[in-house]
Amino acid sequence: MSAILKAPLTVEFPFTRSLGPIQSAFLTGLRERVILGVRTGDGRTLVPPVEYDPVTAEEIRELVEVAPTGTVTTWAWNHAPRRGQPLATPFAWVLVKLDGADTGLLHALDASGPDAVRTGMRVRVRWAEERSGAITDIACFEPYGGEAAEAEPEGHSGEFDDPITGIVAPARLDYTYSPGRAQTGYINALVERRAVGERCPACRKVYVPPRGACPTCGVATAEQVEVGPGGTVTTFCIVNIKAAHTANLDIEVPYVYGHIALDGADLALHGRIAGIPYDQVRMGLRVEPVWTEGARYPDHYRPTGEPDAEYDTFKELT
Amino acid sequence: MSKEPVAVVGIGQTKHVAARRDVSIAGLVREAAQRALADAELTWADIEAVVIGKAPDFFEGVMMPELYLADALGAVGKPMMRVHTAGSVGGSTALVAASLVAARVHGTVLTLAFEKQSESNAMWGLSLPIPFQQPLLAGAGGFFAPHVRAYMRRSGAPDTVGSLVAYKNRRNALKNPYAHLHEHDITLEKVQASPMLWDPIRYSETCPSSDGAVAMVLTDRAGAARAPRSAAWMHGGAMRSEPTLFAGKDSVSPRAGRDCAADVYRQAGITDPRREIDAVEMYVPFSWYEPMWLENLGFAAEGEGWKLTESGVTELDGDLPVDMSGGVLSTNPIGASGMIRFAEAALQVRGQAGEHQVEGARRVLGHAYGGGSQFFSMWLVGAEPPTS
Repeated sequence: MSAILKAPLTVEFPFTRSLGPIQSAFLTGLRERVILGVRTGDGRTLVPPVEYDPVTAEEIRELVEVAPTGTVTTWAWNHAPRRGQPLATPFAWVLVKLDGADTGLLHALDASGPDAVRTGMRVRVRWAEERSGAITDIACFEPYGGEAAEAEPEGHSGEFDDPITGIVAPARLDYTYSPGRAQTGYINALVERRAVGERCPACRKVYVPPRGACPTCGVATAEQVEVGPGGTVTTFCIVNIKAAHTANLDIEVPYVYGHIALDGADLALHGRIAGIPYDQVRMGLRVEPVWTEGARYPDHYRPTGEPDAEYDTFKELT
Repeated sequence: MSKEPVAVVGIGQTKHVAARRDVSIAGLVREAAQRALADAELTWADIEAVVIGKAPDFFEGVMMPELYLADALGAVGKPMMRVHTAGSVGGSTALVAASLVAARVHGTVLTLAFEKQSESNAMWGLSLPIPFQQPLLAGAGGFFAPHVRAYMRRSGAPDTVGSLVAYKNRRNALKNPYAHLHEHDITLEKVQASPMLWDPIRYSETCPSSDGAVAMVLTDRAGAARAPRSAAWMHGGAMRSEPTLFAGKDSVSPRAGRDCAADVYRQAGITDPRREIDAVEMYVPFSWYEPMWLENLGFAAEGEGWKLTESGVTELDGDLPVDMSGGVLSTNPIGASGMIRFAEAALQVRGQAGEHQVEGARRVLGHAYGGGSQFFSMWLVGAEPPTS
């Protein structure tokens, strides 16, 4: 058996976030080198602030400025920083209880090594030179010799000119994707321009592409079956809009997106129908794949010229 | 021991719009939850558990809403869980919450669903670039349009039926202050002249992209007895699922949908849904799904659903009104859309639906589906407590 395919898959998207009043004040404050917490019903100050009281569930809106100095309440050494983390060299993740706050703020501490970090040590904010209204406006924390706050906070109201109301929160996930044994066989056969599915030993249905198991019977499949190359258009739609996710494909609209039951397969796969005016495509049209050099999949399916399939022969496949 | 009857005593929605840039996600869900509490005249302390639902994680990049939103929903120190069944999730979420009451695990439960589509991109979330796979050639509309064509072929329905549904639902939405689309100048001619996107689906026959949340307070008999307004009572509820694609799948009328409806009717003692059910809040993201689901849900024989639509039976003043609120076609915060159907069904039997109230609605079905027509969730609510 040939090796099972695998390849990297990166999922990445710049999600946007509307901040609401509290996060807006907090992030705008960071831009102005002001750190704001919020006062809860029982008189504690939460940093970073939240919109709702974790004890009473009441809406809380009283913002309180705290100092840019504080005490490490716990920490963990990060030996190998990864993409997007606050520092490129090894650092400590720390929870810092800022002077005036009752809770810990998670951030990075720039320290020479784990021996230089301890719970209870005093630290202060190192501000980023360029600040935009983001948690990264605090570049990191650094060791600080003083016991008291450097300066008393001035009691900022949380009102700012030109407040930040939304942020972009990019997300990225890196996977190694493998299609598994059955689909690897299917994909490898496509190189020879053959469509190879698998037959369920129980219901005898042929799945193309194969999944390695029959979703109806719940049993493993192994028997390979070559299907096609001809097939029948079971149903279709005419796509008249160029969507963002097809923009990189060299396809002009309108085009026909069809469900094609390859001869010998028990469910339809999806493909583009061309080689015929879009408004002449019909259910029952007989088609065959058209390959282009170097492509993994057929570029499209075109009419074979055979008579149309009778509706009753493919009705169950729609 | 029989199940505890489940009552809906509080309902809250946000005004659904294209983008709620003034609130965080926490602020959005809070708004719906507080309106539901106010309707029930309850406080956070009265809630024993919270059940939340939203659409797939990639839609907004919020992987654990139950963690992020616990304080906004007063769930600190209480059980809180998240339900996930694609587009049907709002319905499934309500049913999980209802089961906690029916099983007497909790007396009063807050259930809630939301989506902030403006902070996300559902189309991107549905078309990740999986290695070795052929790129998708069409979006959600392109996925469903071939099934609509298959329905038209099977039933022989005239081409105009889809536009009738869209015209009706958009007019119904004008009577619902919470609906997203309020197209005051809508005409049937405008619907029929709107661009064909995924032939046979026109632009005006597709759902919008909305920001919104909905919440309900579910409670037991004792809770209902204390409630300030009349309750909606659950008479039946069920979920069913099946694979997106499998040999023998009926994509026009999926078996999971038929079985789910049959289960709900059995629980509720319904033998003739067309006669015994007064109205339906149906999950119709593309207009043609109204006649398709009318058949799938047993309101019409196979191939006959479009005749109910065409003859005006499903109009607000018809014999079986469908989507009195304007439906998904007028409001679609995806994760919330299923629960909005359930909540609107409850509003009807409580007599609280305002301008889009169906006179004398006693038994109303709430319906949701999701994924590639593979997840179904439904409930039937009544104005009276269940007798058995």
